[in-house]
Amino acid sequence: MRTESRRRILAIAHHEMRAATRSGVLHALLGILIVATAGSVVIASAVYASRLADYQAYRAAAVAGGVTRIAPSPLAPLSLLRGAFEYIEIIGSVIAITLGYLAVSRERANKTLPLLLSRPVSAVELAAGSFIGALGVIATLAAASATVAVLSVGLIGHDWLNLTQVGKLFLAFIAAIVYMATFYSLGAYTAASSKAAANGLMVALGIWLIVVLLLPQIGDTLDADNQIPGGLFAALGLGHDGEVQILQHFATYETVRTSIEAASFAKHFERFAFAMTDVKERYRSLSFPDLLLQVRASIIWILIYAVTLPALMIRAFRKQPSIPQGANQ
Amino acid sequence: MDGPAIEMRGLGHSYNGSPVLHNIDLTIERGEVFGFLGHNGAGKTTTVNILTTLITPTHGTALVNGYDVITDRRRVNAHIGYLPSEVRMYPHMTARENLTFFAELSGVESPNRAVAETLEYLDCSELADLRVGSFSTGMRQRIGIAQAIVHRPSVLFLDEPTAGLDPAGIRQLRRTILDLNADLGMTVFMNTHQLSEVSKVCTTIGVLNHGELIYKDSMEATMRRFPDEMSLEDIYVRMGGVPA
Repeated sequence: MRTESRRRILAIAHHEMRAATRSGVLHALLGILIVATAGSVVIASAVYASRLADYQAYRAAAVAGGVTRIAPSPLAPLSLLRGAFEYIEIIGSVIAITLGYLAVSRERANKTLPLLLSRPVSAVELAAGSFIGALGVIATLAAASATVAVLSVGLIGHDWLNLTQVGKLFLAFIAAIVYMATFYSLGAYTAASSKAAANGLMVALGIWLIVVLLLPQIGDTLDADNQIPGGLFAALGLGHDGEVQILQHFATYETVRTSIEAASFAKHFERFAFAMTDVKERYRSLSFPDLLLQVRASIIWILIYAVTLPALMIRAFRKQPSIPQGANQ
Repeated sequence: MDGPAIEMRGLGHSYNGSPVLHNIDLTIERGEVFGFLGHNGAGKTTTVNILTTLITPTHGTALVNGYDVITDRRRVNAHIGYLPSEVRMYPHMTARENLTFFAELSGVESPNRAVAETLEYLDCSELADLRVGSFSTGMRQRIGIAQAIVHRPSVLFLDEPTAGLDPAGIRQLRRTILDLNADLGMTVFMNTHQLSEVSKVCTTIGVLNHGELIYKDSMEATMRRFPDEMSLEDIYVRMGGVPA
Protein backbone atom coordinates (compact mmCIF):
# COMPACT_ATOMS: atom_id res chain seq x y z
CA MET A 1 0.00 0.00 0.00
CA ARG A 2 1.29 3.45 -0.83
CA THR A 3 2.45 5.63 2.05
CA GLU A 4 -0.03 8.46 1.35
CA SER A 5 -2.92 6.02 1.17
CA ARG A 6 -1.85 4.37 4.44
CA ARG A 7 -1.60 7.77 6.12
CA ARG A 8 -5.09 8.72 5.00
CA ILE A 9 -6.54 5.40 6.18
CA LEU A 10 -4.85 5.79 9.58
CA ALA A 11 -6.10 9.38 9.87
CA ILE A 12 -9.67 8.19 9.21
CA ALA A 13 -9.19 5.30 11.66
CA HIS A 14 -8.02 7.71 14.36
CA HIS A 15 -10.95 9.97 13.54
CA GLU A 16 -13.37 7.04 13.89
CA MET A 17 -11.92 6.02 17.25
CA ARG A 18 -12.10 9.57 18.57
CA ALA A 19 -15.72 9.92 17.47
CA ALA A 20 -16.59 6.61 19.13
CA THR A 21 -14.92 7.55 22.40
CA ARG A 22 -16.84 10.86 22.45
CA SER A 23 -20.26 9.41 21.66
CA GLY A 24 -22.69 9.39 24.58
CA VAL A 25 -24.77 6.60 23.02
CA LEU A 26 -21.74 4.37 22.70
CA HIS A 27 -20.61 5.17 26.23
CA ALA A 28 -23.96 3.97 27.53
CA LEU A 29 -23.93 0.79 25.43
CA LEU A 30 -20.30 0.01 26.27
CA GLY A 31 -21.04 0.58 29.94
CA ILE A 32 -23.89 -1.94 29.81
CA LEU A 33 -21.69 -4.52 28.06
CA ILE A 34 -18.76 -4.06 30.45
CA VAL A 35 -20.97 -4.27 33.54
CA ALA A 36 -22.81 -7.32 32.16
CA THR A 37 -19.70 -9.26 31.07
CA ALA A 38 -17.61 -8.36 34.10
CA GLY A 39 -20.54 -9.01 36.42
CA SER A 40 -21.21 -12.44 34.95
CA VAL A 41 -17.55 -13.45 35.21
CA VAL A 42 -17.16 -12.13 38.74
CA ILE A 43 -20.28 -13.93 39.99
CA ALA A 44 -19.34 -17.16 38.18
CA SER A 45 -15.83 -16.91 39.67
CA ALA A 46 -17.22 -16.61 43.18
CA VAL A 47 -19.36 -19.74 42.66
CA TYR A 48 -16.34 -21.49 41.12
CA ALA A 49 -14.18 -20.66 44.13
CA SER A 50 -16.68 -22.39 46.38
CA ARG A 51 -16.83 -25.51 44.14
CA LEU A 52 -13.06 -25.61 43.89
CA ALA A 53 -12.77 -25.43 47.67
CA ASP A 54 -15.25 -28.34 47.93
CA TYR A 55 -13.23 -30.41 45.45
CA GLN A 56 -9.98 -29.67 47.26
CA ALA A 57 -11.58 -30.64 50.59
CA TYR A 58 -12.81 -33.97 49.13
CA ARG A 59 -9.42 -34.54 47.58
CA ALA A 60 -7.63 -33.87 50.86
CA ALA A 61 -10.03 -36.22 52.68
CA ALA A 62 -9.47 -38.93 50.04
CA VAL A 63 -5.69 -38.60 50.29
CA ALA A 64 -5.92 -38.73 54.08
CA GLY A 65 -8.05 -41.88 53.75
CA GLY A 66 -5.35 -43.53 51.67
CA VAL A 67 -7.10 -43.28 48.29
CA THR A 68 -4.45 -43.22 45.56
CA ARG A 69 -6.57 -42.91 42.43
CA ILE A 70 -8.34 -39.59 42.65
CA ALA A 71 -10.49 -38.25 39.81
CA PRO A 72 -9.26 -35.00 38.32
CA SER A 73 -11.25 -31.85 38.97
CA PRO A 74 -14.41 -31.75 36.86
CA LEU A 75 -14.31 -27.97 37.01
CA ALA A 76 -13.43 -25.96 33.91
CA PRO A 77 -12.38 -22.40 34.78
CA LEU A 78 -12.72 -21.16 31.20
CA SER A 79 -16.40 -22.13 31.21
CA LEU A 80 -16.95 -19.25 33.65
CA LEU A 81 -16.80 -17.03 30.60
CA ARG A 82 -19.98 -18.48 29.09
CA GLY A 83 -22.04 -15.50 30.25
CA ALA A 84 -19.46 -13.02 28.98
CA PHE A 85 -19.55 -14.52 25.48
CA GLU A 86 -23.34 -14.64 25.50
CA TYR A 87 -23.40 -10.92 26.30
CA ILE A 88 -20.87 -10.22 23.55
CA GLU A 89 -23.04 -12.27 21.19
CA ILE A 90 -26.15 -10.23 21.97
CA ILE A 91 -25.12 -6.79 23.27
CA GLY A 92 -21.72 -6.66 21.55
CA SER A 93 -23.34 -7.11 18.17
CA VAL A 94 -25.80 -4.26 18.85
CA ILE A 95 -22.90 -2.00 19.86
CA ALA A 96 -21.05 -2.94 16.70
CA ILE A 97 -24.10 -2.21 14.52
CA THR A 98 -24.49 1.16 16.27
CA LEU A 99 -20.82 1.97 15.64
CA GLY A 100 -21.26 1.19 11.94
CA TYR A 101 -24.43 3.24 11.71
CA LEU A 102 -22.79 6.19 13.47
CA ALA A 103 -19.82 6.10 11.07
CA VAL A 104 -22.21 6.85 8.20
CA SER A 105 -24.83 9.00 9.91
CA ARG A 106 -22.18 11.22 11.52
CA GLU A 107 -20.83 12.31 8.14
CA ARG A 108 -24.33 12.82 6.76
CA ALA A 109 -25.64 14.74 9.78
CA ASN A 110 -22.55 16.94 9.93
CA LYS A 111 -22.61 17.35 6.13
CA THR A 112 -18.90 16.54 6.14
CA LEU A 113 -19.00 13.84 3.46
CA PRO A 114 -18.51 16.41 0.65
CA LEU A 115 -15.55 17.86 2.57
CA LEU A 116 -14.00 14.39 2.89
CA LEU A 117 -14.57 13.44 -0.72
CA SER A 118 -13.27 16.75 -2.06
CA ARG A 119 -9.91 15.61 -0.62
CA PRO A 120 -7.75 13.02 -2.34
CA VAL A 121 -9.57 10.29 -0.42
CA SER A 122 -11.23 7.34 -2.11
CA ALA A 123 -14.41 5.67 -0.88
CA VAL A 124 -12.38 2.51 -0.30
CA GLU A 125 -9.94 4.40 1.94
CA LEU A 126 -12.87 5.92 3.79
CA ALA A 127 -14.42 2.49 4.36
CA ALA A 128 -11.08 0.90 5.30
CA GLY A 129 -10.20 3.71 7.71
CA SER A 130 -13.61 3.57 9.39
CA PHE A 131 -13.37 -0.21 9.68
CA ILE A 132 -9.88 -0.13 11.19
CA GLY A 133 -10.95 2.57 13.66
CA ALA A 134 -13.94 0.50 14.72
CA LEU A 135 -11.69 -2.54 14.98
CA GLY A 136 -9.53 -0.52 17.40
CA VAL A 137 -12.55 0.28 19.58
CA ILE A 138 -13.79 -3.32 19.48
CA ALA A 139 -10.34 -4.78 20.18
CA THR A 140 -9.89 -2.47 23.17
CA LEU A 141 -13.24 -3.61 24.48
CA ALA A 142 -12.34 -7.28 23.95
CA ALA A 143 -8.93 -6.83 25.60
CA ALA A 144 -10.54 -5.17 28.61
CA SER A 145 -13.10 -8.00 28.87
CA ALA A 146 -10.37 -10.65 28.55
CA THR A 147 -8.27 -8.98 31.26
CA VAL A 148 -11.23 -8.77 33.63
CA ALA A 149 -12.01 -12.43 32.89
CA VAL A 150 -8.49 -13.73 33.56
CA LEU A 151 -8.11 -11.64 36.72
CA SER A 152 -11.56 -12.64 38.02
CA VAL A 153 -10.91 -16.35 37.52
CA GLY A 154 -7.53 -16.01 39.24
CA LEU A 155 -8.31 -13.59 42.06
CA ILE A 156 -11.91 -14.53 42.85
CA GLY A 157 -12.05 -18.09 41.50
CA HIS A 158 -8.60 -18.91 42.98
CA ASP A 159 -7.60 -20.80 39.84
CA TRP A 160 -5.12 -19.16 37.48
CA LEU A 161 -5.37 -20.14 33.82
CA ASN A 162 -2.52 -22.13 32.32
CA LEU A 163 -0.84 -21.28 29.01
CA THR A 164 -3.10 -23.54 26.90
CA GLN A 165 -6.20 -22.04 28.47
CA VAL A 166 -4.90 -18.52 27.85
CA GLY A 167 -4.28 -19.50 24.21
CA LYS A 168 -7.84 -20.80 23.85
CA LEU A 169 -9.20 -17.69 25.53
CA PHE A 170 -7.15 -15.55 23.15
CA LEU A 171 -8.70 -17.32 20.15
CA ALA A 172 -12.18 -16.93 21.60
CA PHE A 173 -11.65 -13.18 21.96
CA ILE A 174 -10.20 -12.94 18.45
CA ALA A 175 -13.44 -14.57 17.29
CA ALA A 176 -15.37 -12.00 19.36
CA ILE A 177 -13.50 -9.18 17.63
CA VAL A 178 -14.19 -10.69 14.20
CA TYR A 179 -17.83 -11.24 15.18
CA MET A 180 -18.36 -7.63 16.27
CA ALA A 181 -16.38 -6.24 13.32
CA THR A 182 -18.71 -8.16 11.01
CA PHE A 183 -21.75 -6.61 12.67
CA TYR A 184 -20.03 -3.22 12.41
CA SER A 185 -19.79 -3.79 8.66
CA LEU A 186 -23.47 -4.75 8.58
CA GLY A 187 -24.44 -1.50 10.35
CA ALA A 188 -22.26 0.62 8.07
CA TYR A 189 -23.42 -1.26 4.96
CA THR A 190 -27.14 -0.88 5.63
CA ALA A 191 -26.77 2.77 6.68
CA ALA A 192 -24.64 3.67 3.63
CA SER A 193 -27.06 1.82 1.32
CA SER A 194 -30.09 3.71 2.63
CA LYS A 195 -31.13 7.25 1.72
CA ALA A 196 -31.92 7.81 5.40
CA ALA A 197 -29.24 6.20 7.56
CA ALA A 198 -31.80 5.58 10.33
CA ASN A 199 -33.72 3.28 7.97
CA GLY A 200 -30.49 1.36 7.44
CA LEU A 201 -30.12 1.02 11.21
CA MET A 202 -33.63 -0.44 11.41
CA VAL A 203 -32.77 -2.97 8.68
CA ALA A 204 -29.54 -3.93 10.47
CA LEU A 205 -31.37 -4.38 13.77
CA GLY A 206 -33.98 -6.49 11.97
CA ILE A 207 -31.22 -8.75 10.63
CA TRP A 208 -29.66 -8.83 14.11
CA LEU A 209 -32.99 -9.94 15.56
CA ILE A 210 -33.22 -12.82 13.10
CA VAL A 211 -29.55 -13.86 13.18
CA VAL A 212 -28.79 -13.41 16.87
CA LEU A 213 -32.08 -14.19 18.55
CA LEU A 214 -34.62 -15.95 16.33
CA LEU A 215 -32.59 -18.50 14.35
CA PRO A 216 -30.52 -19.81 17.30
CA GLN A 217 -33.69 -19.88 19.43
CA ILE A 218 -35.57 -21.88 16.79
CA GLY A 219 -32.63 -24.27 16.47
CA ASP A 220 -32.41 -24.72 20.25
CA THR A 221 -36.16 -25.20 20.64
CA LEU A 222 -36.21 -27.89 17.97
CA ASP A 223 -33.22 -29.69 19.51
CA ALA A 224 -34.44 -33.01 20.92
CA ASP A 225 -31.81 -32.91 23.67
CA ASN A 226 -33.19 -29.61 24.96
CA GLN A 227 -36.69 -30.93 25.57
CA ILE A 228 -36.09 -31.67 29.26
CA PRO A 229 -33.80 -29.90 31.74
CA GLY A 230 -30.36 -31.50 31.93
CA GLY A 231 -30.71 -33.02 28.47
CA LEU A 232 -32.95 -35.75 27.09
CA PHE A 233 -30.12 -38.12 26.18
CA ALA A 234 -28.39 -37.71 29.52
CA ALA A 235 -31.71 -38.49 31.23
CA LEU A 236 -31.97 -41.64 29.12
CA GLY A 237 -28.41 -42.55 30.13
CA LEU A 238 -27.15 -42.33 26.58
CA GLY A 239 -23.70 -41.04 25.67
CA HIS A 240 -22.70 -39.20 22.49
CA ASP A 241 -22.69 -42.41 20.42
CA GLY A 242 -26.18 -43.33 21.57
CA GLU A 243 -27.38 -39.82 20.77
CA VAL A 244 -25.95 -40.06 17.26
CA GLN A 245 -27.54 -43.48 16.75
CA ILE A 246 -31.00 -42.23 17.71
CA LEU A 247 -30.78 -39.04 15.71
CA GLN A 248 -30.01 -41.08 12.59
CA HIS A 249 -33.70 -42.01 12.64
CA PHE A 250 -34.60 -38.31 12.40
CA ALA A 251 -32.07 -37.39 9.72
CA THR A 252 -34.32 -35.02 7.71
CA TYR A 253 -35.56 -33.29 10.86
CA GLU A 254 -31.99 -32.85 12.10
CA THR A 255 -30.85 -31.57 8.71
CA VAL A 256 -33.55 -28.88 8.73
CA ARG A 257 -32.78 -27.97 12.33
CA THR A 258 -29.02 -27.72 11.86
CA SER A 259 -29.55 -25.78 8.61
CA ILE A 260 -31.58 -23.20 10.51
CA GLU A 261 -28.76 -22.92 13.04
CA ALA A 262 -26.11 -22.85 10.32
CA ALA A 263 -27.80 -19.81 8.78
CA SER A 264 -27.04 -17.91 11.97
CA PHE A 265 -23.66 -16.22 12.11
CA ALA A 266 -24.18 -15.75 15.84
CA LYS A 267 -24.59 -19.50 16.35
CA HIS A 268 -21.26 -20.18 14.66
CA PHE A 269 -19.57 -17.63 16.89
CA GLU A 270 -21.24 -19.18 19.93
CA ARG A 271 -20.18 -22.71 18.95
CA PHE A 272 -16.58 -21.60 18.43
CA ALA A 273 -16.41 -19.51 21.61
CA PHE A 274 -18.05 -22.23 23.72
CA ALA A 275 -15.68 -24.86 22.30
CA MET A 276 -12.66 -22.67 23.13
CA THR A 277 -13.89 -21.94 26.65
CA ASP A 278 -14.77 -25.54 27.63
CA VAL A 279 -18.47 -24.76 27.97
CA LYS A 280 -19.36 -27.98 26.13
CA GLU A 281 -18.05 -30.96 28.06
CA ARG A 282 -17.36 -33.04 24.98
CA TYR A 283 -14.68 -30.60 23.82
CA ARG A 284 -12.76 -30.48 27.11
CA SER A 285 -10.73 -33.65 26.57
CA LEU A 286 -9.75 -32.84 22.97
CA SER A 287 -6.28 -31.75 21.97
CA PHE A 288 -6.00 -28.27 20.52
CA PRO A 289 -5.72 -29.43 16.84
CA ASP A 290 -8.67 -31.82 17.34
CA LEU A 291 -10.68 -29.00 18.88
CA LEU A 292 -10.07 -26.77 15.86
CA LEU A 293 -11.00 -29.68 13.59
CA GLN A 294 -14.29 -30.14 15.43
CA VAL A 295 -15.28 -26.49 14.96
CA ARG A 296 -13.87 -26.08 11.45
CA ALA A 297 -17.34 -25.58 9.95
CA SER A 298 -18.01 -22.67 12.30
CA ILE A 299 -14.57 -21.19 11.55
CA ILE A 300 -15.29 -21.34 7.82
CA TRP A 301 -18.73 -19.76 8.22
CA ILE A 302 -17.33 -17.00 10.46
CA LEU A 303 -14.66 -16.25 7.84
CA ILE A 304 -17.22 -16.21 5.01
CA TYR A 305 -19.35 -13.66 6.87
CA ALA A 306 -16.27 -11.72 8.00
CA VAL A 307 -15.12 -11.28 4.39
CA THR A 308 -18.53 -10.76 2.77
CA LEU A 309 -19.91 -8.03 5.04
CA PRO A 310 -16.84 -5.72 4.86
CA ALA A 311 -16.85 -6.22 1.07
CA LEU A 312 -20.51 -5.17 0.95
CA MET A 313 -19.66 -2.21 3.17
CA ILE A 314 -16.92 -1.04 0.78
CA ARG A 315 -19.34 -1.43 -2.14
CA ALA A 316 -21.97 0.66 -0.34
CA PHE A 317 -19.41 3.36 0.49
CA ARG A 318 -18.39 3.51 -3.17
CA LYS A 319 -21.99 3.85 -4.32
CA GLN A 320 -22.96 6.33 -1.62
CA PRO A 321 -23.64 9.75 -3.19
CA SER A 322 -21.30 12.49 -1.91
CA ILE A 323 -24.21 14.92 -1.81
CA PRO A 324 -27.98 14.41 -1.91
CA GLN A 325 -28.90 14.21 -5.61
CA GLY A 326 -30.48 17.40 -6.88
CA ALA A 327 -30.59 18.84 -3.38
CA ASN A 328 -29.11 22.16 -4.37
CA GLN A 329 -28.41 23.26 -7.87
CA MET B 1 2.13 24.74 -13.96
CA ASP B 2 0.98 26.14 -17.30
CA GLY B 3 -2.49 26.52 -18.72
CA PRO B 4 -5.68 27.85 -17.20
CA ALA B 5 -6.75 27.05 -13.64
CA ILE B 6 -10.18 25.84 -14.72
CA GLU B 7 -11.41 24.83 -18.12
CA MET B 8 -14.90 23.56 -19.00
CA ARG B 9 -15.88 22.35 -22.44
CA GLY B 10 -19.46 21.45 -23.29
CA LEU B 11 -20.05 20.72 -19.61
CA GLY B 12 -23.57 19.56 -18.80
CA HIS B 13 -25.45 17.80 -16.07
CA SER B 14 -28.91 16.33 -15.57
CA TYR B 15 -30.69 15.16 -12.44
CA ASN B 16 -33.01 12.23 -13.17
CA GLY B 17 -33.17 13.24 -16.83
CA SER B 18 -33.85 16.94 -16.10
CA PRO B 19 -30.97 19.06 -17.43
CA VAL B 20 -29.61 21.66 -15.02
CA LEU B 21 -26.43 22.64 -16.85
CA HIS B 22 -26.21 23.13 -20.61
CA ASN B 23 -22.92 22.91 -22.53
CA ILE B 24 -20.90 25.29 -20.40
CA ASP B 25 -17.70 26.54 -22.06
CA LEU B 26 -15.68 28.52 -19.60
CA THR B 27 -12.01 29.18 -18.94
CA ILE B 28 -10.66 30.76 -15.77
CA GLU B 29 -7.04 31.82 -15.78
CA ARG B 30 -4.64 31.39 -12.89
CA GLY B 31 -4.78 34.09 -10.24
CA GLU B 32 -8.29 35.20 -11.10
CA VAL B 33 -11.00 35.76 -8.52
CA PHE B 34 -14.03 34.55 -10.43
CA GLY B 35 -17.54 35.42 -9.32
CA PHE B 36 -20.20 33.00 -10.54
CA LEU B 37 -23.56 34.72 -10.43
CA GLY B 38 -26.99 33.27 -10.92
CA HIS B 39 -30.43 32.93 -9.42
CA ASN B 40 -31.39 30.05 -7.12
CA GLY B 41 -31.39 26.80 -9.08
CA ALA B 42 -29.36 28.29 -11.95
CA GLY B 43 -26.79 25.48 -11.65
CA LYS B 44 -23.99 27.24 -9.75
CA THR B 45 -23.66 24.63 -7.01
CA THR B 46 -23.89 21.81 -9.54
CA THR B 47 -20.95 23.40 -11.38
CA VAL B 48 -18.89 23.59 -8.17
CA ASN B 49 -19.86 20.02 -7.29
CA ILE B 50 -18.56 18.85 -10.66
CA LEU B 51 -15.34 20.86 -10.36
CA THR B 52 -14.71 19.51 -6.86
CA THR B 53 -15.34 15.95 -8.17
CA LEU B 54 -18.34 15.41 -5.91
CA ILE B 55 -20.57 14.58 -8.87
CA THR B 56 -19.80 13.31 -12.34
CA PRO B 57 -21.04 15.46 -15.23
CA THR B 58 -23.52 13.92 -17.62
CA HIS B 59 -21.54 15.23 -20.57
CA GLY B 60 -18.58 17.42 -21.49
CA THR B 61 -15.22 17.80 -19.80
CA ALA B 62 -13.80 19.88 -16.99
CA LEU B 63 -10.16 20.35 -16.12
CA VAL B 64 -8.79 21.83 -12.92
CA ASN B 65 -5.09 22.64 -13.00
CA GLY B 66 -5.00 20.61 -16.21
CA TYR B 67 -6.39 17.48 -14.55
CA ASP B 68 -9.66 15.91 -15.64
CA VAL B 69 -12.31 15.90 -12.90
CA ILE B 70 -13.58 12.49 -14.04
CA THR B 71 -10.46 10.53 -14.88
CA ASP B 72 -7.93 12.24 -12.59
CA ARG B 73 -10.04 12.86 -9.54
CA ARG B 74 -7.28 12.44 -6.96
CA ARG B 75 -4.94 14.93 -8.59
CA VAL B 76 -7.76 17.44 -8.89
CA ASN B 77 -8.59 16.97 -5.21
CA ALA B 78 -4.95 17.42 -4.21
CA HIS B 79 -4.96 20.90 -5.77
CA ILE B 80 -8.28 22.30 -4.63
CA GLY B 81 -9.83 23.69 -1.49
CA TYR B 82 -13.58 23.66 -0.99
CA LEU B 83 -15.91 25.58 1.27
CA PRO B 84 -19.53 24.38 0.93
CA SER B 85 -22.44 26.76 1.41
CA GLU B 86 -23.26 25.36 4.82
CA VAL B 87 -20.14 24.75 6.91
CA ARG B 88 -20.75 22.22 9.65
CA MET B 89 -17.57 20.19 10.28
CA TYR B 90 -17.34 17.87 13.32
CA PRO B 91 -19.01 19.46 16.34
CA HIS B 92 -17.47 17.03 18.86
CA MET B 93 -13.97 18.03 17.78
CA THR B 94 -12.03 21.23 18.41
CA ALA B 95 -11.12 23.51 15.53
CA ARG B 96 -7.54 22.28 15.72
CA GLU B 97 -8.62 18.62 15.61
CA ASN B 98 -10.90 19.29 12.64
CA LEU B 99 -8.17 21.10 10.74
CA THR B 100 -5.51 18.53 11.57
CA PHE B 101 -7.78 15.77 10.30
CA PHE B 102 -8.37 17.53 6.98
CA ALA B 103 -4.66 18.38 6.68
CA GLU B 104 -3.79 14.70 7.17
CA LEU B 105 -6.30 13.66 4.52
CA SER B 106 -4.74 16.14 2.11
CA GLY B 107 -1.31 14.64 2.67
CA VAL B 108 0.21 17.68 4.38
CA GLU B 109 3.70 16.78 5.63
CA SER B 110 3.50 18.55 9.00
CA PRO B 111 -0.21 18.83 9.79
CA ASN B 112 0.24 20.46 13.22
CA ARG B 113 2.48 23.19 11.85
CA ALA B 114 0.20 23.77 8.85
CA VAL B 115 -2.81 24.12 11.14
CA ALA B 116 -1.05 26.58 13.45
CA GLU B 117 0.14 28.66 10.49
CA THR B 118 -3.29 28.66 8.87
CA LEU B 119 -5.04 29.71 12.07
CA GLU B 120 -2.52 32.47 12.54
CA TYR B 121 -2.84 33.59 8.92
CA LEU B 122 -6.62 33.84 9.33
CA ASP B 123 -6.18 35.51 12.70
CA CYS B 124 -8.28 32.97 14.54
CA SER B 125 -5.76 31.13 16.72
CA GLU B 126 -8.00 31.84 19.72
CA LEU B 127 -10.55 29.36 18.30
CA ALA B 128 -8.07 26.51 18.03
CA ASP B 129 -8.97 24.58 21.16
CA LEU B 130 -12.69 25.25 21.26
CA ARG B 131 -15.19 22.65 20.09
CA VAL B 132 -16.71 23.56 16.73
CA GLY B 133 -20.16 22.60 18.04
CA SER B 134 -20.15 25.76 20.16
CA PHE B 135 -19.28 28.12 17.28
CA SER B 136 -21.41 30.89 15.78
CA THR B 137 -21.97 31.01 12.01
CA GLY B 138 -19.14 33.48 11.56
CA MET B 139 -16.68 31.42 13.60
CA ARG B 140 -17.64 28.27 11.70
CA GLN B 141 -17.10 30.12 8.43
CA ARG B 142 -13.57 31.13 9.46
CA ILE B 143 -12.68 27.59 10.45
CA GLY B 144 -14.36 26.41 7.25
CA ILE B 145 -12.03 28.60 5.23
CA ALA B 146 -9.12 27.34 7.30
CA GLN B 147 -9.98 23.72 6.37
CA ALA B 148 -10.21 24.75 2.74
CA ILE B 149 -6.74 26.31 2.65
CA VAL B 150 -4.81 24.31 5.26
CA HIS B 151 -3.10 22.32 2.50
CA ARG B 152 -2.40 25.46 0.42
CA PRO B 153 -4.46 24.56 -2.65
CA SER B 154 -3.94 26.45 -5.88
CA VAL B 155 -7.66 26.70 -6.63
CA LEU B 156 -10.24 27.58 -4.00
CA PHE B 157 -13.97 26.94 -4.48
CA LEU B 158 -16.36 28.92 -2.31
CA ASP B 159 -20.08 28.18 -2.52
CA GLU B 160 -22.15 31.11 -1.25
CA PRO B 161 -19.48 32.00 1.33
CA THR B 162 -21.32 35.06 2.67
CA ALA B 163 -24.56 33.21 3.46
CA GLY B 164 -25.58 33.82 7.05
CA LEU B 165 -22.72 36.21 7.82
CA ASP B 166 -23.23 39.60 9.46
CA PRO B 167 -21.72 42.72 7.82
CA ALA B 168 -18.52 42.42 9.87
CA GLY B 169 -18.18 38.78 8.85
CA ILE B 170 -18.73 39.66 5.20
CA ARG B 171 -16.07 42.35 5.36
CA GLN B 172 -13.63 39.95 7.02
CA LEU B 173 -14.33 37.30 4.40
CA ARG B 174 -13.77 39.80 1.60
CA ARG B 175 -10.38 40.72 3.06
CA THR B 176 -9.49 37.05 3.44
CA ILE B 177 -10.31 36.27 -0.20
CA LEU B 178 -8.23 39.20 -1.44
CA ASP B 179 -5.32 38.19 0.84
CA LEU B 180 -5.44 34.56 -0.28
CA ASN B 181 -5.36 35.69 -3.87
CA ALA B 182 -2.58 38.24 -3.34
CA ASP B 183 -0.38 36.41 -0.77
CA LEU B 184 -0.78 32.80 -1.83
CA GLY B 185 -1.69 33.30 -5.48
CA MET B 186 -4.84 31.20 -5.16
CA THR B 187 -7.35 31.18 -7.97
CA VAL B 188 -10.75 31.70 -6.40
CA PHE B 189 -14.03 30.43 -7.84
CA MET B 190 -16.89 31.92 -5.89
CA ASN B 191 -20.61 31.20 -6.22
CA THR B 192 -22.57 34.07 -4.81
CA HIS B 193 -25.74 36.09 -4.70
CA GLN B 194 -24.00 39.06 -3.18
CA LEU B 195 -23.43 41.39 -6.12
CA SER B 196 -21.82 43.96 -3.86
CA GLU B 197 -19.18 41.40 -2.93
CA VAL B 198 -18.54 40.46 -6.53
CA SER B 199 -17.84 44.05 -7.48
CA LYS B 200 -15.43 44.48 -4.56
CA VAL B 201 -13.57 41.20 -4.80
CA CYS B 202 -13.79 39.59 -8.23
CA THR B 203 -11.57 40.18 -11.21
CA THR B 204 -13.88 38.27 -13.57
CA ILE B 205 -17.56 37.38 -13.49
CA GLY B 206 -19.77 34.82 -15.17
CA VAL B 207 -23.55 34.76 -15.16
CA LEU B 208 -25.49 31.55 -15.23
CA ASN B 209 -29.17 31.62 -16.15
CA HIS B 210 -31.22 28.40 -16.07
CA GLY B 211 -28.10 26.30 -16.58
CA GLU B 212 -26.72 28.40 -19.44
CA LEU B 213 -23.70 30.66 -19.24
CA ILE B 214 -25.02 33.95 -20.60
CA TYR B 215 -22.07 36.20 -19.79
CA LYS B 216 -18.40 36.10 -18.91
CA ASP B 217 -15.93 38.95 -18.84
CA SER B 218 -13.54 40.82 -16.57
CA MET B 219 -14.98 43.10 -13.93
CA GLU B 220 -13.32 46.08 -15.55
CA ALA B 221 -14.70 45.28 -19.00
CA THR B 222 -18.14 44.66 -17.51
CA MET B 223 -18.24 48.10 -15.90
CA ARG B 224 -17.06 49.65 -19.18
CA ARG B 225 -19.62 47.73 -21.20
CA PHE B 226 -22.53 48.95 -19.12
CA PRO B 227 -21.51 52.56 -18.40
CA ASP B 228 -25.04 53.74 -17.83
CA GLU B 229 -25.84 51.31 -15.06
CA MET B 230 -25.48 52.43 -11.47
CA SER B 231 -24.38 49.15 -10.05
CA LEU B 232 -23.53 45.57 -10.82
CA GLU B 233 -27.04 44.66 -9.74
CA ASP B 234 -28.48 46.79 -12.55
CA ILE B 235 -26.08 45.17 -15.00
CA TYR B 236 -27.14 41.74 -13.77
CA VAL B 237 -30.80 42.62 -14.35
CA ARG B 238 -30.02 43.82 -17.88
CA MET B 239 -28.23 40.56 -18.63
CA GLY B 240 -31.37 38.67 -17.70
CA GLY B 241 -30.05 37.25 -14.44
CA VAL B 242 -33.19 38.34 -12.56
CA PRO B 243 -36.45 39.97 -13.61
CA ALA B 244 -36.26 43.80 -13.55
